[in-house]
Amino acid sequence: MFWIFASPWIIGFLVFLAGPMIFSVYISLTEWDSFNPPVFVGLDNFVRLFTDYPLFWRAVGQTFLYAVLAVPTTLAIGVFLANLLNKRIKFRRFFRTMVYLPVLVPLVATAMVFMMVLAPSGPVNQFLGLFGIDGPHWLLDPTWVIPAIVMLALWAAGGATILLLSAMNGIPKEFYEAAEIDGAGPMRQFWSITFPQITPIIFFNLIMGMIGAFQVFGQVFILTGGGPDNASMMMVPLLFREGFQFFRFGLASAMAWVLFVIIMIFTALAFKTSKRWVFYETEVK
Amino acid sequence: MATLTTPTALPSTPGTSAAPPADRRRTRKARTLKAFKATPLTYLLLIIASIVFFTPLIFMVSIALSSTRTTAAGAFTIIPQEFYWSNFTDVFTATPLPVGRFVLNSVIIATTSAVGQVLSSSLVGYAFARLRAPGKGTVFMVVLATMMIPGQIVMIPQFIIFQNLGWVNTFLPLIIPNFFTNAFNVFLVRQFVARLPSEYDEAAQMDGLGYFGIYRRIFLPMMWPILTAIAIFTLTASWGDFMGPLIYLHRQELMPLALGLRFMTAVTNELQTPAWNLVMVGSIILTLPMLVIYFLGQKYLYEMSISTGSAGVK
Repeated sequence: MFWIFASPWIIGFLVFLAGPMIFSVYISLTEWDSFNPPVFVGLDNFVRLFTDYPLFWRAVGQTFLYAVLAVPTTLAIGVFLANLLNKRIKFRRFFRTMVYLPVLVPLVATAMVFMMVLAPSGPVNQFLGLFGIDGPHWLLDPTWVIPAIVMLALWAAGGATILLLSAMNGIPKEFYEAAEIDGAGPMRQFWSITFPQITPIIFFNLIMGMIGAFQVFGQVFILTGGGPDNASMMMVPLLFREGFQFFRFGLASAMAWVLFVIIMIFTALAFKTSKRWVFYETEVK
Repeated sequence: MATLTTPTALPSTPGTSAAPPADRRRTRKARTLKAFKATPLTYLLLIIASIVFFTPLIFMVSIALSSTRTTAAGAFTIIPQEFYWSNFTDVFTATPLPVGRFVLNSVIIATTSAVGQVLSSSLVGYAFARLRAPGKGTVFMVVLATMMIPGQIVMIPQFIIFQNLGWVNTFLPLIIPNFFTNAFNVFLVRQFVARLPSEYDEAAQMDGLGYFGIYRRIFLPMMWPILTAIAIFTLTASWGDFMGPLIYLHRQELMPLALGLRFMTAVTNELQTPAWNLVMVGSIILTLPMLVIYFLGQKYLYEMSISTGSAGVK
Protein backbone atom coordinates (compact mmCIF):
# COMPACT_ATOMS: atom_id res chain seq x y z
CA MET A 1 0.00 0.00 0.00
CA PHE A 2 2.81 2.38 0.87
CA TRP A 3 4.38 1.87 -2.53
CA ILE A 4 1.13 2.74 -4.33
CA PHE A 5 0.67 5.95 -2.36
CA ALA A 6 4.33 6.87 -2.71
CA SER A 7 4.44 6.00 -6.40
CA PRO A 8 4.12 9.60 -7.68
CA TRP A 9 7.34 10.50 -5.97
CA ILE A 10 9.09 7.24 -6.87
CA ILE A 11 8.14 7.52 -10.55
CA GLY A 12 9.08 11.19 -10.57
CA PHE A 13 12.39 10.38 -8.93
CA LEU A 14 13.24 7.73 -11.52
CA VAL A 15 11.96 9.61 -14.58
CA PHE A 16 12.86 13.21 -13.76
CA LEU A 17 15.91 12.86 -11.52
CA ALA A 18 17.77 9.55 -11.27
CA GLY A 19 17.34 8.63 -14.93
CA PRO A 20 18.34 12.04 -16.26
CA MET A 21 21.33 12.14 -13.89
CA ILE A 22 22.68 8.88 -15.26
CA PHE A 23 21.86 10.09 -18.76
CA SER A 24 23.75 13.28 -17.98
CA VAL A 25 26.92 11.33 -17.14
CA TYR A 26 26.70 9.69 -20.54
CA ILE A 27 25.99 12.98 -22.35
CA SER A 28 29.00 14.59 -20.69
CA LEU A 29 31.16 11.89 -22.31
CA THR A 30 29.85 12.58 -25.80
CA GLU A 31 29.84 15.23 -28.43
CA TRP A 32 26.21 15.87 -29.20
CA ASP A 33 24.46 18.74 -30.93
CA SER A 34 20.88 17.44 -30.87
CA PHE A 35 20.76 17.18 -34.68
CA ASN A 36 23.35 14.47 -35.21
CA PRO A 37 23.63 11.31 -33.12
CA PRO A 38 25.97 11.51 -30.11
CA VAL A 39 29.63 10.57 -30.56
CA PHE A 40 31.41 9.06 -27.57
CA VAL A 41 34.52 11.09 -26.80
CA GLY A 42 35.49 9.90 -23.32
CA LEU A 43 36.69 12.63 -21.00
CA ASP A 44 37.39 15.10 -23.81
CA ASN A 45 34.77 17.56 -22.64
CA PHE A 46 36.24 17.66 -19.16
CA VAL A 47 39.78 17.94 -20.49
CA ARG A 48 38.65 20.81 -22.66
CA LEU A 49 36.92 22.53 -19.73
CA PHE A 50 40.00 22.27 -17.56
CA THR A 51 42.65 23.15 -20.14
CA ASP A 52 41.15 24.97 -23.08
CA TYR A 53 38.18 27.00 -21.91
CA PRO A 54 39.33 30.06 -19.96
CA LEU A 55 35.84 31.61 -20.09
CA PHE A 56 34.51 28.78 -17.95
CA TRP A 57 36.96 29.51 -15.16
CA ARG A 58 36.35 33.19 -15.51
CA ALA A 59 32.64 32.47 -15.09
CA VAL A 60 33.37 30.31 -12.03
CA GLY A 61 35.46 33.10 -10.52
CA GLN A 62 32.85 35.73 -11.26
CA THR A 63 30.12 33.55 -9.79
CA PHE A 64 32.15 33.22 -6.60
CA LEU A 65 32.71 36.96 -6.57
CA TYR A 66 28.98 37.53 -6.96
CA ALA A 67 28.19 35.07 -4.16
CA VAL A 68 30.81 36.53 -1.83
CA LEU A 69 29.57 40.06 -2.42
CA ALA A 70 25.84 39.29 -2.31
CA VAL A 71 25.31 36.74 0.42
CA PRO A 72 27.26 38.07 3.44
CA THR A 73 26.05 41.61 2.70
CA THR A 74 22.45 40.44 2.49
CA LEU A 75 22.81 38.70 5.84
CA ALA A 76 24.54 41.70 7.42
CA ILE A 77 21.67 43.94 6.31
CA GLY A 78 19.28 41.27 7.59
CA VAL A 79 20.89 41.18 11.04
CA PHE A 80 20.97 44.97 11.22
CA LEU A 81 17.32 45.44 10.24
CA ALA A 82 16.10 42.49 12.30
CA ASN A 83 17.74 43.96 15.36
CA LEU A 84 15.91 47.25 14.75
CA LEU A 85 12.60 45.50 14.15
CA ASN A 86 13.08 43.40 17.26
CA LYS A 87 12.89 46.48 19.47
CA ARG A 88 9.67 47.71 20.98
CA ILE A 89 8.68 49.93 18.13
CA LYS A 90 5.43 51.39 16.93
CA PHE A 91 4.30 50.49 13.41
CA ARG A 92 6.38 47.31 13.47
CA ARG A 93 4.02 45.65 11.01
CA PHE A 94 4.35 48.56 8.63
CA PHE A 95 8.16 48.61 8.70
CA ARG A 96 8.35 44.86 8.36
CA THR A 97 6.08 44.95 5.34
CA MET A 98 8.12 47.71 3.70
CA VAL A 99 11.30 45.73 4.11
CA TYR A 100 9.70 42.48 2.97
CA LEU A 101 7.77 43.73 -0.09
CA PRO A 102 10.70 43.45 -2.54
CA VAL A 103 11.00 39.75 -1.71
CA LEU A 104 7.54 39.27 -3.22
CA VAL A 105 8.42 40.89 -6.52
CA PRO A 106 9.13 38.21 -9.15
CA LEU A 107 12.73 38.18 -10.34
CA VAL A 108 11.84 39.22 -13.88
CA ALA A 109 9.96 42.27 -12.64
CA THR A 110 12.85 43.11 -10.32
CA ALA A 111 15.25 42.91 -13.26
CA MET A 112 13.03 45.20 -15.34
CA VAL A 113 12.85 47.83 -12.61
CA PHE A 114 16.58 47.73 -11.96
CA MET A 115 17.27 48.06 -15.65
CA MET A 116 15.54 51.43 -15.43
CA VAL A 117 16.87 52.43 -12.03
CA LEU A 118 20.48 51.61 -12.94
CA ALA A 119 20.39 53.23 -16.38
CA PRO A 120 23.42 55.52 -16.96
CA SER A 121 21.28 58.63 -16.44
CA GLY A 122 18.75 56.81 -14.28
CA PRO A 123 17.58 57.48 -10.73
CA VAL A 124 20.57 55.92 -8.93
CA ASN A 125 23.06 58.06 -10.80
CA GLN A 126 20.85 61.12 -10.46
CA PHE A 127 20.86 60.52 -6.72
CA LEU A 128 24.63 60.10 -6.66
CA GLY A 129 24.88 63.29 -8.69
CA LEU A 130 23.31 65.19 -5.79
CA PHE A 131 26.51 64.46 -3.87
CA GLY A 132 28.71 65.35 -6.79
CA ILE A 133 29.43 61.70 -7.57
CA ASP A 134 29.59 60.81 -11.23
CA GLY A 135 27.97 57.38 -11.11
CA PRO A 136 29.31 54.53 -13.24
CA HIS A 137 27.37 53.06 -16.15
CA TRP A 138 26.53 50.08 -13.92
CA LEU A 139 25.29 47.35 -16.26
CA LEU A 140 27.42 48.61 -19.13
CA ASP A 141 30.62 48.95 -17.12
CA PRO A 142 32.77 45.79 -16.70
CA THR A 143 33.90 46.91 -13.23
CA TRP A 144 30.47 47.75 -11.90
CA VAL A 145 28.26 45.16 -13.54
CA ILE A 146 28.64 42.53 -10.81
CA PRO A 147 28.04 45.02 -7.97
CA ALA A 148 24.97 46.13 -9.92
CA ILE A 149 23.64 42.57 -10.05
CA VAL A 150 24.46 42.23 -6.35
CA MET A 151 22.11 45.17 -5.73
CA LEU A 152 19.17 43.04 -6.86
CA ALA A 153 20.05 40.48 -4.19
CA LEU A 154 20.40 43.20 -1.56
CA TRP A 155 17.01 44.60 -2.46
CA ALA A 156 15.54 41.27 -1.35
CA ALA A 157 17.35 41.32 2.01
CA GLY A 158 13.92 41.43 3.64
CA GLY A 159 13.76 37.63 3.38
CA ALA A 160 16.84 37.25 5.58
CA THR A 161 15.53 40.00 7.84
CA ILE A 162 12.27 38.23 8.60
CA LEU A 163 14.03 34.94 9.22
CA LEU A 164 16.60 36.48 11.56
CA LEU A 165 13.90 38.49 13.29
CA SER A 166 12.07 35.33 14.24
CA ALA A 167 15.37 33.83 15.39
CA MET A 168 15.97 36.86 17.61
CA ASN A 169 12.46 36.49 18.94
CA GLY A 170 13.33 33.04 20.19
CA ILE A 171 16.12 34.26 22.45
CA PRO A 172 14.93 34.06 26.07
CA LYS A 173 14.43 37.50 27.60
CA GLU A 174 16.11 36.30 30.78
CA PHE A 175 19.50 36.65 29.07
CA TYR A 176 18.87 40.33 28.53
CA GLU A 177 17.54 40.82 32.04
CA ALA A 178 20.67 39.28 33.50
CA ALA A 179 22.87 41.41 31.24
CA GLU A 180 21.02 44.52 32.25
CA ILE A 181 21.52 43.80 35.92
CA ASP A 182 25.22 43.42 35.13
CA GLY A 183 25.10 46.88 33.59
CA ALA A 184 25.66 45.97 29.95
CA GLY A 185 24.56 48.56 27.41
CA PRO A 186 22.48 47.79 24.28
CA MET A 187 25.58 47.54 22.07
CA ARG A 188 27.25 45.14 24.44
CA GLN A 189 24.06 43.13 24.76
CA PHE A 190 23.77 42.81 21.01
CA TRP A 191 27.31 41.49 20.58
CA SER A 192 27.29 39.30 23.70
CA ILE A 193 23.78 37.85 23.52
CA THR A 194 21.85 38.48 20.31
CA PHE A 195 24.63 37.87 17.84
CA PRO A 196 26.08 34.67 19.38
CA GLN A 197 22.55 33.27 19.77
CA ILE A 198 21.74 33.64 16.09
CA THR A 199 25.17 32.70 14.73
CA PRO A 200 24.14 29.15 13.79
CA ILE A 201 21.25 30.47 11.72
CA ILE A 202 23.43 33.10 10.11
CA PHE A 203 26.01 30.49 9.25
CA PHE A 204 23.47 28.04 7.85
CA ASN A 205 21.95 30.76 5.69
CA LEU A 206 25.36 31.91 4.61
CA ILE A 207 26.10 28.52 3.11
CA MET A 208 22.62 27.94 1.70
CA GLY A 209 22.69 31.46 0.28
CA MET A 210 26.02 30.79 -1.38
CA ILE A 211 24.60 27.65 -2.95
CA GLY A 212 21.66 29.65 -4.26
CA ALA A 213 23.95 32.40 -5.51
CA PHE A 214 26.08 29.92 -7.46
CA GLN A 215 22.96 29.12 -9.47
CA VAL A 216 22.17 32.73 -10.35
CA PHE A 217 20.68 32.89 -13.82
CA GLY A 218 17.65 35.06 -14.57
CA GLN A 219 19.03 38.43 -13.50
CA VAL A 220 22.25 37.90 -15.46
CA PHE A 221 20.44 36.62 -18.53
CA ILE A 222 17.95 39.49 -18.55
CA LEU A 223 20.14 42.38 -17.46
CA THR A 224 23.42 41.74 -19.24
CA GLY A 225 23.39 38.39 -21.01
CA GLY A 226 26.79 37.91 -19.38
CA GLY A 227 28.26 41.11 -20.77
CA PRO A 228 29.74 43.57 -21.22
CA ASP A 229 32.59 41.54 -22.66
CA ASN A 230 31.73 38.55 -20.45
CA ALA A 231 32.36 40.65 -17.33
CA SER A 232 29.19 39.28 -15.72
CA MET A 233 29.24 35.80 -17.24
CA MET A 234 28.47 33.25 -14.53
CA MET A 235 28.25 29.48 -14.35
CA VAL A 236 24.60 28.80 -15.13
CA PRO A 237 24.19 31.44 -17.84
CA LEU A 238 27.28 30.00 -19.54
CA LEU A 239 25.89 26.48 -19.17
CA PHE A 240 22.63 27.67 -20.66
CA ARG A 241 24.43 29.29 -23.57
CA GLU A 242 26.48 26.20 -24.35
CA GLY A 243 23.50 23.89 -23.98
CA PHE A 244 20.56 25.77 -25.42
CA GLN A 245 22.06 28.37 -27.73
CA PHE A 246 25.10 26.54 -29.11
CA PHE A 247 23.55 23.09 -28.57
CA ARG A 248 26.79 21.61 -27.27
CA PHE A 249 25.06 19.16 -24.96
CA GLY A 250 28.25 17.25 -24.10
CA LEU A 251 30.25 20.25 -23.01
CA ALA A 252 27.28 21.79 -21.19
CA SER A 253 26.71 18.54 -19.27
CA ALA A 254 30.36 18.41 -18.28
CA MET A 255 29.96 21.96 -16.97
CA ALA A 256 26.86 20.91 -15.07
CA TRP A 257 28.87 18.20 -13.31
CA VAL A 258 31.59 20.64 -12.29
CA LEU A 259 28.87 22.93 -10.92
CA PHE A 260 27.34 19.92 -9.19
CA VAL A 261 30.61 19.07 -7.45
CA ILE A 262 31.09 22.67 -6.31
CA ILE A 263 27.59 22.81 -4.91
CA MET A 264 27.91 19.41 -3.24
CA ILE A 265 31.06 20.56 -1.46
CA PHE A 266 29.18 23.51 -0.02
CA THR A 267 26.17 21.35 0.82
CA ALA A 268 28.40 18.93 2.70
CA LEU A 269 29.84 21.89 4.54
CA ALA A 270 26.34 23.08 5.43
CA PHE A 271 25.39 19.65 6.70
CA LYS A 272 28.54 19.09 8.66
CA THR A 273 28.10 22.34 10.48
CA SER A 274 24.34 22.32 10.86
CA LYS A 275 23.50 18.77 11.91
CA ARG A 276 22.84 19.94 15.41
CA TRP A 277 20.16 22.47 14.66
CA VAL A 278 18.53 22.21 11.27
CA PHE A 279 15.97 19.47 11.59
CA TYR A 280 16.25 19.00 15.32
CA GLU A 281 12.75 19.87 16.37
CA THR A 282 10.96 18.14 13.53
CA GLU A 283 12.98 14.93 13.73
CA VAL A 284 10.46 12.12 13.81
CA LYS A 285 10.74 9.06 15.95
CA MET B 1 20.74 25.30 22.96
CA ALA B 2 18.88 23.39 20.35
CA THR B 3 15.55 24.98 21.08
CA LEU B 4 17.02 28.44 20.84
CA THR B 5 18.38 27.96 17.39
CA THR B 6 15.88 25.65 15.79
CA PRO B 7 14.11 27.60 13.07
CA THR B 8 10.94 25.55 13.34
CA ALA B 9 10.67 26.04 17.07
CA LEU B 10 10.36 29.77 16.81
CA PRO B 11 7.16 31.72 17.32
CA SER B 12 5.84 32.07 13.86
CA THR B 13 2.63 34.02 13.70
CA PRO B 14 3.61 37.32 12.17
CA GLY B 15 1.09 39.40 14.05
CA THR B 16 2.03 38.18 17.47
CA SER B 17 5.63 37.19 17.09
CA ALA B 18 6.99 40.32 18.66
CA ALA B 19 4.89 40.27 21.79
CA PRO B 20 6.21 38.43 24.82
CA PRO B 21 4.08 35.54 26.10
CA ALA B 22 1.03 36.65 28.03
CA ASP B 23 2.24 35.58 31.46
CA ARG B 24 5.50 37.41 31.07
CA ARG B 25 3.70 40.48 29.85
CA ARG B 26 1.64 40.55 33.00
CA THR B 27 4.56 40.41 35.40
CA ARG B 28 6.90 42.78 33.60
CA LYS B 29 4.50 45.03 31.91
CA ALA B 30 5.88 48.29 33.14
CA ARG B 31 9.41 48.33 31.86
CA THR B 32 11.11 47.68 28.57
CA LEU B 33 14.50 46.08 28.62
CA LYS B 34 17.27 48.33 27.45
CA ALA B 35 18.10 46.08 24.53
CA PHE B 36 14.58 46.52 23.17
CA LYS B 37 14.18 50.21 23.80
CA ALA B 38 13.48 52.12 20.63
CA THR B 39 15.26 55.44 20.24
CA PRO B 40 14.65 58.17 17.66
CA LEU B 41 17.67 56.74 15.86
CA THR B 42 15.86 53.39 15.59
CA TYR B 43 12.96 55.07 13.84
CA LEU B 44 15.23 57.16 11.66
CA LEU B 45 17.09 54.07 10.44
CA LEU B 46 13.87 52.16 9.86
CA ILE B 47 12.38 55.04 7.91
CA ILE B 48 15.50 55.31 5.74
CA ALA B 49 15.47 51.55 5.15
CA SER B 50 11.78 51.63 4.25
CA ILE B 51 12.36 54.43 1.75
CA VAL B 52 15.31 52.64 0.16
CA PHE B 53 13.39 49.37 -0.19
CA PHE B 54 10.24 51.04 -1.40
CA THR B 55 11.76 53.44 -3.93
CA PRO B 56 12.21 50.95 -6.80
CA LEU B 57 8.54 50.01 -6.45
CA ILE B 58 7.55 53.68 -6.68
CA PHE B 59 9.60 53.98 -9.85
CA MET B 60 7.88 50.92 -11.22
CA VAL B 61 4.51 52.61 -10.77
CA SER B 62 5.73 56.04 -11.83
CA ILE B 63 7.22 54.79 -15.09
CA ALA B 64 4.12 52.70 -15.73
CA LEU B 65 2.07 55.91 -15.61
CA SER B 66 4.41 57.94 -17.82
CA SER B 67 3.89 58.66 -21.50
CA THR B 68 5.95 56.86 -24.09
CA ARG B 69 7.77 60.08 -24.90
CA THR B 70 8.70 60.80 -21.27
CA THR B 71 9.93 57.24 -20.76
CA ALA B 72 12.00 57.22 -23.94
CA ALA B 73 13.68 60.46 -22.85
CA GLY B 74 14.33 59.03 -19.37
CA ALA B 75 12.47 62.06 -18.01
CA PHE B 76 10.29 60.15 -15.56
CA THR B 77 10.31 61.28 -11.95
CA ILE B 78 9.89 59.47 -8.67
CA ILE B 79 6.57 61.20 -7.99
CA PRO B 80 4.51 60.63 -11.12
CA GLN B 81 3.91 63.88 -13.04
CA GLU B 82 1.68 62.23 -15.60
CA PHE B 83 -1.07 59.71 -15.22
CA TYR B 84 -1.42 57.75 -18.42
CA TRP B 85 -3.80 55.17 -17.04
CA SER B 86 -4.39 54.13 -20.63
CA ASN B 87 -1.02 52.35 -20.44
CA PHE B 88 -2.82 49.68 -18.47
CA THR B 89 -5.02 48.89 -21.48
CA ASP B 90 -2.39 49.77 -24.09
CA VAL B 91 -0.19 47.00 -22.75
CA PHE B 92 -2.73 44.54 -24.10
CA THR B 93 -3.53 46.30 -27.37
CA ALA B 94 -0.72 48.61 -28.41
CA THR B 95 2.19 46.19 -28.60
CA PRO B 96 2.80 43.57 -31.27
CA LEU B 97 3.04 40.98 -28.50
CA PRO B 98 0.07 38.95 -27.20
CA VAL B 99 0.34 40.20 -23.61
CA GLY B 100 -3.16 39.00 -22.75
CA ARG B 101 -2.11 35.53 -23.82
CA PHE B 102 1.03 35.82 -21.69
CA VAL B 103 -1.11 36.40 -18.63
CA LEU B 104 -3.50 33.58 -19.49
CA ASN B 105 -0.57 31.21 -20.07
CA SER B 106 0.92 32.15 -16.71
CA VAL B 107 -2.39 31.48 -14.99
CA ILE B 108 -2.80 28.09 -16.68
CA ILE B 109 0.74 26.92 -15.95
CA ALA B 110 0.78 28.17 -12.36
CA THR B 111 -2.63 26.83 -11.32
CA THR B 112 -2.23 23.38 -12.87
CA SER B 113 1.24 23.12 -11.34
CA ALA B 114 -0.18 23.99 -7.92
CA VAL B 115 -2.98 21.43 -8.29
CA GLY B 116 -0.39 18.81 -9.23
CA GLN B 117 1.82 19.57 -6.26
CA VAL B 118 -1.07 19.61 -3.79
CA LEU B 119 -2.46 16.28 -4.98
CA SER B 120 0.81 14.42 -5.28
CA SER B 121 2.55 15.78 -2.20
CA SER B 122 -0.48 15.09 0.01
CA LEU B 123 -0.63 11.50 -1.20
CA VAL B 124 3.08 10.81 -0.87
CA GLY B 125 3.50 12.75 2.36
CA TYR B 126 0.63 10.78 3.89
CA ALA B 127 2.28 7.54 2.80
CA PHE B 128 5.56 8.44 4.46
CA ALA B 129 3.83 9.54 7.65
CA ARG B 130 1.28 6.78 8.10
CA LEU B 131 1.76 3.71 5.94
CA ARG B 132 4.17 0.91 6.73
CA ALA B 133 6.55 -0.85 4.40
CA PRO B 134 9.98 -2.43 4.69
CA GLY B 135 12.64 -0.05 3.40
CA LYS B 136 10.51 3.03 3.94
CA GLY B 137 13.17 4.67 6.09
CA THR B 138 15.77 4.22 3.40
CA VAL B 139 13.47 5.66 0.76
CA PHE B 140 12.87 8.67 2.97
CA MET B 141 16.61 9.23 3.25
CA VAL B 142 16.70 9.26 -0.55
CA VAL B 143 13.88 11.82 -0.56
CA LEU B 144 15.88 14.07 1.75
CA ALA B 145 19.06 13.56 -0.26
CA THR B 146 17.40 14.64 -3.50
CA MET B 147 16.65 18.03 -1.98
CA MET B 148 20.34 18.80 -2.17
CA ILE B 149 20.75 18.10 -5.87
CA PRO B 150 20.98 21.28 -7.95
CA GLY B 151 18.48 21.30 -10.81
CA GLN B 152 21.06 22.26 -13.43
CA ILE B 153 22.38 18.72 -13.49
CA VAL B 154 19.20 17.39 -15.10
CA MET B 155 18.42 20.43 -17.24
CA ILE B 156 19.95 19.08 -20.44
CA PRO B 157 18.94 15.40 -20.17
CA GLN B 158 15.39 16.45 -19.28
CA PHE B 159 15.32 18.70 -22.31
CA ILE B 160 16.43 15.85 -24.56
CA ILE B 161 13.80 13.55 -23.05
CA PHE B 162 10.99 16.09 -23.42
CA GLN B 163 12.15 16.95 -26.91
CA ASN B 164 11.89 13.30 -27.90
CA LEU B 165 8.42 13.15 -26.40
CA GLY B 166 7.47 16.09 -28.61
CA TRP B 167 6.77 18.23 -25.55
CA VAL B 168 8.83 21.25 -26.58
CA ASN B 169 6.51 24.18 -27.24
CA THR B 170 3.85 22.74 -24.96
CA PHE B 171 3.17 23.51 -21.29
CA LEU B 172 3.74 19.87 -20.37
CA PRO B 173 7.43 20.05 -19.35
CA LEU B 174 6.54 22.86 -16.95
CA ILE B 175 3.38 21.24 -15.55
CA ILE B 176 3.73 17.46 -15.57
CA PRO B 177 6.72 17.15 -13.20
CA ASN B 178 4.56 18.85 -10.56
CA PHE B 179 2.21 15.86 -10.58
CA PHE B 180 5.13 13.79 -9.30
CA THR B 181 5.69 16.09 -6.30
CA ASN B 182 9.09 17.13 -5.02
CA ALA B 183 11.15 16.13 -2.03
CA PHE B 184 10.63 19.32 -0.11
CA ASN B 185 6.84 19.18 -0.28
CA VAL B 186 6.82 15.49 0.65
CA PHE B 187 8.91 16.40 3.65
CA LEU B 188 6.55 19.20 4.68
CA VAL B 189 3.40 17.08 4.43
CA ARG B 190 5.01 14.16 6.17
CA GLN B 191 6.09 16.31 9.10
CA PHE B 192 2.63 17.82 9.31
CA VAL B 193 0.77 14.51 9.22
CA ALA B 194 3.19 12.84 11.62
CA ARG B 195 2.12 15.30 14.31
CA LEU B 196 -1.58 14.43 14.01
CA PRO B 197 -2.78 11.98 16.70
CA SER B 198 -3.12 8.36 15.62
CA GLU B 199 -6.62 8.10 17.16
CA TYR B 200 -7.97 9.40 13.87
CA ASP B 201 -6.64 6.45 11.89
CA GLU B 202 -7.79 3.94 14.48
CA ALA B 203 -11.31 5.32 14.64
CA ALA B 204 -11.53 5.43 10.87
CA GLN B 205 -10.25 1.90 10.54
CA MET B 206 -12.90 0.71 12.99
CA ASP B 207 -15.47 2.45 10.82
CA GLY B 208 -14.24 0.28 7.98
CA LEU B 209 -12.45 2.87 5.90
CA GLY B 210 -9.62 1.64 3.68
CA TYR B 211 -6.27 3.41 3.34
CA PHE B 212 -7.50 5.56 0.52
CA GLY B 213 -10.67 6.42 2.45
CA ILE B 214 -8.64 7.40 5.48
CA TYR B 215 -6.45 9.59 3.30
CA ARG B 216 -9.33 11.25 1.49
CA ARG B 217 -11.90 11.58 4.27
CA ILE B 218 -9.74 12.02 7.35
CA PHE B 219 -6.35 13.39 6.46
CA LEU B 220 -6.88 15.43 3.33
CA PRO B 221 -9.30 17.80 5.11
CA MET B 222 -6.90 18.16 8.01
CA MET B 223 -3.91 18.88 5.80
CA TRP B 224 -5.25 22.12 4.38
CA PRO B 225 -2.89 24.49 6.22
CA ILE B 226 0.18 22.79 4.84
CA LEU B 227 -1.43 22.23 1.45
CA THR B 228 -2.31 25.91 1.26
CA ALA B 229 1.32 26.71 1.93
CA ILE B 230 2.41 24.29 -0.78
CA ALA B 231 -0.12 25.74 -3.22
CA ILE B 232 1.11 29.28 -2.54
CA PHE B 233 4.70 28.23 -2.84
CA THR B 234 4.09 26.42 -6.14
CA LEU B 235 2.02 29.28 -7.55
CA THR B 236 4.75 31.75 -6.67
CA ALA B 237 7.58 29.65 -8.06
CA SER B 238 5.73 28.73 -11.23
CA TRP B 239 4.41 32.25 -11.84
CA GLY B 240 7.87 33.77 -11.52
CA ASP B 241 9.76 30.97 -13.30
CA PHE B 242 11.86 32.31 -16.13
CA MET B 243 14.31 29.58 -17.03
CA GLY B 244 11.82 26.75 -17.58
CA PRO B 245 9.71 28.66 -20.11
CA LEU B 246 12.88 30.02 -21.71
CA ILE B 247 14.05 26.47 -22.37
CA TYR B 248 10.75 24.95 -23.49
CA LEU B 249 8.54 27.67 -24.96
CA HIS B 250 9.78 29.30 -28.14
CA ARG B 251 6.52 30.54 -29.59
CA GLN B 252 5.13 33.84 -28.41
CA GLU B 253 1.55 32.69 -28.05
CA LEU B 254 2.74 30.03 -25.57
CA MET B 255 4.89 32.22 -23.35
CA PRO B 256 3.99 33.07 -19.77
CA LEU B 257 4.25 36.69 -18.67
CA ALA B 258 7.62 36.30 -16.92
CA LEU B 259 9.19 35.26 -20.21
CA GLY B 260 7.04 37.49 -22.40
CA LEU B 261 8.15 40.60 -20.50
CA ARG B 262 11.68 40.04 -21.67
CA PHE B 263 10.49 40.01 -25.24
CA MET B 264 8.72 43.30 -24.65
CA THR B 265 12.12 44.83 -23.99
CA ALA B 266 13.32 43.53 -27.35
CA VAL B 267 10.51 45.14 -29.36
CA THR B 268 10.90 48.82 -30.12
CA ASN B 269 8.12 51.34 -30.53
CA GLU B 270 7.81 54.33 -32.86
CA LEU B 271 10.49 56.15 -30.85
CA GLN B 272 12.99 53.35 -31.48
CA THR B 273 13.17 52.32 -27.82
CA PRO B 274 11.45 49.52 -25.98
CA ALA B 275 8.14 50.67 -24.52
CA TRP B 276 9.51 50.79 -21.00
CA ASN B 277 6.33 52.28 -19.61
CA LEU B 278 4.41 49.26 -20.87
CA VAL B 279 7.16 46.92 -19.63
CA MET B 280 6.62 48.43 -16.18
CA VAL B 281 2.87 47.92 -16.50
CA GLY B 282 3.69 44.30 -17.32
CA SER B 283 5.96 44.12 -14.29
CA ILE B 284 3.13 45.41 -12.12
CA ILE B 285 0.79 42.80 -13.58
CA LEU B 286 3.45 40.20 -12.82
CA THR B 287 3.92 41.44 -9.26
CA LEU B 288 0.38 42.20 -8.09
CA PRO B 289 -0.90 38.60 -7.87
CA MET B 290 2.12 37.74 -5.74
CA LEU B 291 1.29 40.54 -3.31
CA VAL B 292 -2.35 39.46 -3.17
CA ILE B 293 -1.48 35.81 -2.61
CA TYR B 294 1.04 36.75 0.04
CA PHE B 295 -1.31 38.93 2.02
CA LEU B 296 -4.13 36.39 1.79
CA GLY B 297 -1.94 33.48 2.75
CA GLN B 298 0.65 35.31 4.81
CA LYS B 299 0.36 33.00 7.78
CA TYR B 300 0.99 29.82 5.84
CA LEU B 301 3.70 31.24 3.66
CA TYR B 302 5.50 32.68 6.63
CA GLU B 303 5.44 29.40 8.50
CA MET B 304 6.75 27.69 5.45
CA SER B 305 9.62 30.10 4.93
CA ILE B 306 10.55 29.73 8.58
CA SER B 307 10.44 25.96 8.47
CA THR B 308 12.85 25.88 5.55
CA GLY B 309 15.28 27.81 7.71
CA SER B 310 16.63 29.54 4.66
CA ALA B 311 16.57 33.19 3.78
CA GLY B 312 16.36 32.44 0.10
CA VAL B 313 18.76 34.94 -1.41
CA LYS B 314 17.44 35.68 -4.85
